[in-house]
Amino acid sequence: MARGTSQPQSASSATSRPGVMAPRGSAAATAGMRRRRLGGGSNSSGSVSGGSGPGSNMLRFYTDESPGLKITPTAVLVMSVCFIGFVTALHVFGKLYRAKAGSGV
Amino acid sequence: MGSGFRVLHLVRPFLSFLPEVQNADRKVPFREKVIYTVISLFIFLVCSQLPLYGIHSTTGADPFYWMRVILASNRGTVMELGITPIVTSGLVMQLLVGSKIIEVDNNVREDRALMNGAQKLLGILIAIGEAVAYVLSGMYGSVSQLGVGNAILIIIQLFFAGIIVICLDELLQKGYGLGSGISLFIATNICENIIWKAFSPTTINSGRGAEFEGAVIALFHLLITRTDKVRALREAFYRQNLPNVTNLLATVLIFLIVIYFQGFRVVLPVRSKNARGQQGSYPIKLFYTSNMPIILQSALVSNVYFISQLLYRKYSGNFFVNLLGKWKDSDYSAGQSIPVGGIAYYITAPSSLADMVANPFHALFYLVFMLSACALFSKTWIEVSGSSARDVAKQLKEQQMVMPGHRESNLQKELNRYIPTAAAFGGMCIGALTVLADFMGAIGSGTGILLAVTIIYQYFETFEKEKASELGFFGF
Repeated sequence: MARGTSQPQSASSATSRPGVMAPRGSAAATAGMRRRRLGGGSNSSGSVSGGSGPGSNMLRFYTDESPGLKITPTAVLVMSVCFIGFVTALHVFGKLYRAKAGSGV
Repeated sequence: MGSGFRVLHLVRPFLSFLPEVQNADRKVPFREKVIYTVISLFIFLVCSQLPLYGIHSTTGADPFYWMRVILASNRGTVMELGITPIVTSGLVMQLLVGSKIIEVDNNVREDRALMNGAQKLLGILIAIGEAVAYVLSGMYGSVSQLGVGNAILIIIQLFFAGIIVICLDELLQKGYGLGSGISLFIATNICENIIWKAFSPTTINSGRGAEFEGAVIALFHLLITRTDKVRALREAFYRQNLPNVTNLLATVLIFLIVIYFQGFRVVLPVRSKNARGQQGSYPIKLFYTSNMPIILQSALVSNVYFISQLLYRKYSGNFFVNLLGKWKDSDYSAGQSIPVGGIAYYITAPSSLADMVANPFHALFYLVFMLSACALFSKTWIEVSGSSARDVAKQLKEQQMVMPGHRESNLQKELNRYIPTAAAFGGMCIGALTVLADFMGAIGSGTGILLAVTIIYQYFETFEKEKASELGFFGF
């Protein structure tokens, strides 16, 4: 058990951590899974339900399903590209329109 | 509980209109995640370069200049709002929940759905509100100048950009991508800034002939063109008006220091009560609250700046307004004011080491302010965000984990020995690093760099985890 002072220990324990859980027997693997679920602190950690990392809470919003207008991830990307295209088109038409108006006057 | 639930239930009628990214029904492979992340990033980058259609001008003071770093926004582009709507709505909801104004039972499925819906709805409302406020306040020229049609077009563009950012963030978080959209966008923005300052090929005429803006490019340019090589070197390293090589080196140094400190942690061993032999560990990091203290601190500072600047422009003679802050237009970049007096001046980083020596009191005050603010915010944040010793103990109990050699009731006490200390001390360290970065004149402000490094480190951890989990699946 860790008898460490409140001063954190050096990085030696940290480096050994992620690698341990690799290909062992199934018991060890489940322990690895469990450990991973526990490992807190990072914003982008796996599927922590209550949010174990302090930073995680604010930066992780939509973890659960909610009844809404379902869209596929591809649709999101296509939508964004369409939006970009739309704004670009606005610029182009704006330029054309202004040029025409300018020559008219 | 009654009134809180009513507030949350107000969201219900809107739930069916909110855009919602489908949950991944299968495990998205690592490669695909990377592809989704890269495409989202690309969209974000294009959006933050694409100018808004219909704006008249973006000259004039920019009251949000100080917030732009942490909000990943770019002036005059489609990403004008950046992640402001999401972050603000997230902060507001967190504070509401943390202060028990809205009660959410995280175990009830519907509650979580409503909470998410509320957050998204609030985000969209904030996006609309801010877009309207920007246009009406004349950030892009007065409404009469723009014309009503253009004004509406601008609002629509900003609104859509807000929705896109929300969707991209959700897409990344739902397991299609890596990490969260917000941190990805912040980090990208800052890194882009740093790279640009280092390699920018723009030339600026500073009176001694054209000079390159980018530090590295300027170094070579000066070395090649000047006859006096020593003076050229000195110029490249110490020029004041543009990013110089010292700034760049300071940035790299800060990067390394922060990454070194990220590894510091206390590992508490935990053991499962049910299954024998299941050992785990609960690491408590030195940077327990990660980058939250600086996000909160800079949010505070930028609000002070914003208010002080507005007041100073209207009532510059008033004693109290002057006490809050005096402002002067910057010599180097147009449309940017710098504080020269009052509280706003003392909570601003000294611009250089020389400035620090000239005004030791300013430097000292800034140091004390940063350290105490970061430590305080860090302590507050663990309470608000539900990561205090009590919450962690509860969470571990729910997962049936105990600390070997300790009674179950003792768990909280044991955690209490570490968590508040880690939070306060870690917050102070973050603050100190930010100050160090500012004193050394690192590119993109201390806050920005600290944010970027912590986020990048988190991404690195995610990568490791992803790799490990893929291996784990083979192991099964």
